[in-house]
Amino acid sequence: MRRVGMTKPECRIPNGNLRNGCGLVLLFVFLFGVAHADTRATLSQEERTNGAQILGGMETTLPGARAAVAQIKDAKGKAVSTAVWVGADGYFLTKASEVPELEKQRIHWAKENSAAIREIQRLNAHDLVLAQAVGVSGVMPVKFEMAASKTAYGQWLAAPVKGGSEIRIGVISAQPRKIQGFGAAMGISMDKEPPPVPGVRIIGLAEESPAVAAGLRVGDILTALDGKPATDREQVSNLIKSYQPGDFMEVKYSRDGKPRTTRVRLASRMKIVMNWEGEDFANGGISLRTDNFARVIQHDLPLTPLDMGGPLFDLQGHALGINIARVDRVTTFALPASVFWKEIEPLIEADRHPPKALKP
Amino acid sequence: MLYRVLPSSLYLAAYFMVAGALVSQAELSSTPLKELLSVQTGVQTLLTKVRPAVVAIRTHDGTASGVIINAEGLILTAAHVAEKPGREMRVVLDDGKVVKAVTLGLDKTTDAALMQLHDTDKAWPHVKLSREVVKALPGSWCFALGHPGGFDKERGVVLRVGKIIRQTANSLQTDCVLMGGDSGGPLFNLKGEVIGIHSQIWEQRDHNMHVSMAPFLRSWDEMKSSLVIRVWGTGSGGYLGAAIDVNAAGKVEVLEVLEGSPAQKAGLIAGDVVEALETQPVSSASQFSNAVRVRPAGDEILLKVLRDQATRELRVKLASRPKEDEG
Repeated sequence: MRRVGMTKPECRIPNGNLRNGCGLVLLFVFLFGVAHADTRATLSQEERTNGAQILGGMETTLPGARAAVAQIKDAKGKAVSTAVWVGADGYFLTKASEVPELEKQRIHWAKENSAAIREIQRLNAHDLVLAQAVGVSGVMPVKFEMAASKTAYGQWLAAPVKGGSEIRIGVISAQPRKIQGFGAAMGISMDKEPPPVPGVRIIGLAEESPAVAAGLRVGDILTALDGKPATDREQVSNLIKSYQPGDFMEVKYSRDGKPRTTRVRLASRMKIVMNWEGEDFANGGISLRTDNFARVIQHDLPLTPLDMGGPLFDLQGHALGINIARVDRVTTFALPASVFWKEIEPLIEADRHPPKALKP
Repeated sequence: MLYRVLPSSLYLAAYFMVAGALVSQAELSSTPLKELLSVQTGVQTLLTKVRPAVVAIRTHDGTASGVIINAEGLILTAAHVAEKPGREMRVVLDDGKVVKAVTLGLDKTTDAALMQLHDTDKAWPHVKLSREVVKALPGSWCFALGHPGGFDKERGVVLRVGKIIRQTANSLQTDCVLMGGDSGGPLFNLKGEVIGIHSQIWEQRDHNMHVSMAPFLRSWDEMKSSLVIRVWGTGSGGYLGAAIDVNAAGKVEVLEVLEGSPAQKAGLIAGDVVEALETQPVSSASQFSNAVRVRPAGDEILLKVLRDQATRELRVKLASRPKEDEG
């Protein structure tokens, strides 16, 4: 359990080097008298907004929602993202930055089914990838609603989670808008003074950042990034910024005089800067890429990064778009269908003629 | 009477688990879809009305939220946002306009605080606050507004819709998920009245705590005159003046009635078994004392008591806790 205060340091994305230019979050010690005891009984899990009482009623109104999704799992059987069927013959979409090695993975659906994957095209502008489950037919594709213009603050939405085994609801929580991109970062701050050996020394790490996940520590000296020698702070910063969130970067570094190598999966730079101290923790973590989208619907559904790539519905069962980024504790972005579907549909048609990969 | 909770959080963690076990009887709604759509209509209608009153607050080193509650520009926010009286802060209105305000008093024991916008001649957009604190019941729909992460004009104010999970003497817990920057922002009921001010979160999604209106109503005058309340009891309303405990039969019994207290004036005597406060059955000593304390001084309550096998009703006008009784 972690308790956090709720004011937030004001941050602006710094120019040049990636450093935290913010003060600390105010934490306050709360005093609980005996009067903190409940005056009424606590609401049970079943009675809450995403409890069994309400979700049970959603099953009948959203017949196709859960059948429309599948899960991408890695070789070890660990789920990495959610997919939405867009063609009965196995065509699907998922979140591109979460599946850099999609063809090494398998798609799983309806508990017992799984298939190999053939990647067709990455649409990096939307962070989507179109692919086909090899040798599959008869799945239940969604039919995207292009006229999602009626969506507004406070409208209820629903999304399948955990590979389609459950549904969650929430509301549109902010204005639809474009989300600017600021490139990638790994979450390190660097010494401007050169270390005794050629390279750049790490002097700080962002909480739960890609650098931390890859095992880097304060004091490590970066020597090369994807084969390019690390010369100074600015050069390393610019090199990382030229990558996209979700990209891998091979990092050579020196620790206690010994050369080491690791592979860092880069994430959105803006989010790392804004969340340097880990104050925006999201339950279940956040997506690697959280920005650079042409238009998003922002909502408050309790989803996790693994649910990204799945479809978003209204309560009448219309598919409005695809959940594309878990951003923080209160924010998930979805791409409205009008942003991507006109590009996807011709790709599927072109791929179907002549038919490919219908046999395993 | 005071327990200081260590930031290690273990105490509250255990507390939440115990509280979670107290499952109330569910009122089964046969048509959740209908219910949701009616909540949606309500929230959407209210949002346009209340939105102009929700503000972002720029503190000396961070960003938070608040809500304007009268035409003169009085703002409710959290004590950990204001920190101390007399601080000047910048306030960002819904349209992005930046104005100035000064912090007034605060209640550090409950995290309630007031601020005043500088320009008192302007007719500020404002909302009402709910004076019926006890009516913010677990299971009721509510919505939270605030500026998580700070003001963002393109994004606008951020809405969360959910339910009240817990009601305590000074706070509400909801499943409206909050985060940094939301502090001080308003929680509304479906009448569009403020019922809570965002105060703190715990790691779990449903652990979103709001200060209820009880501390504000209880300490209104003190806070308006820029006092800092540090000790629970100062300005505390809902004083009855009777010692109570659970008797051998598991009922809440009056042990002693203090001389000159509201309880004595109303005719309560030792040995009375308290069965109900207004329409709410009394189930435990703490539930009863909280239900009394959550009401402001001056409130009249109806007590149903059992005396000599007969039920009688007593009207008690609650007073403020006498000064010598303070901790």
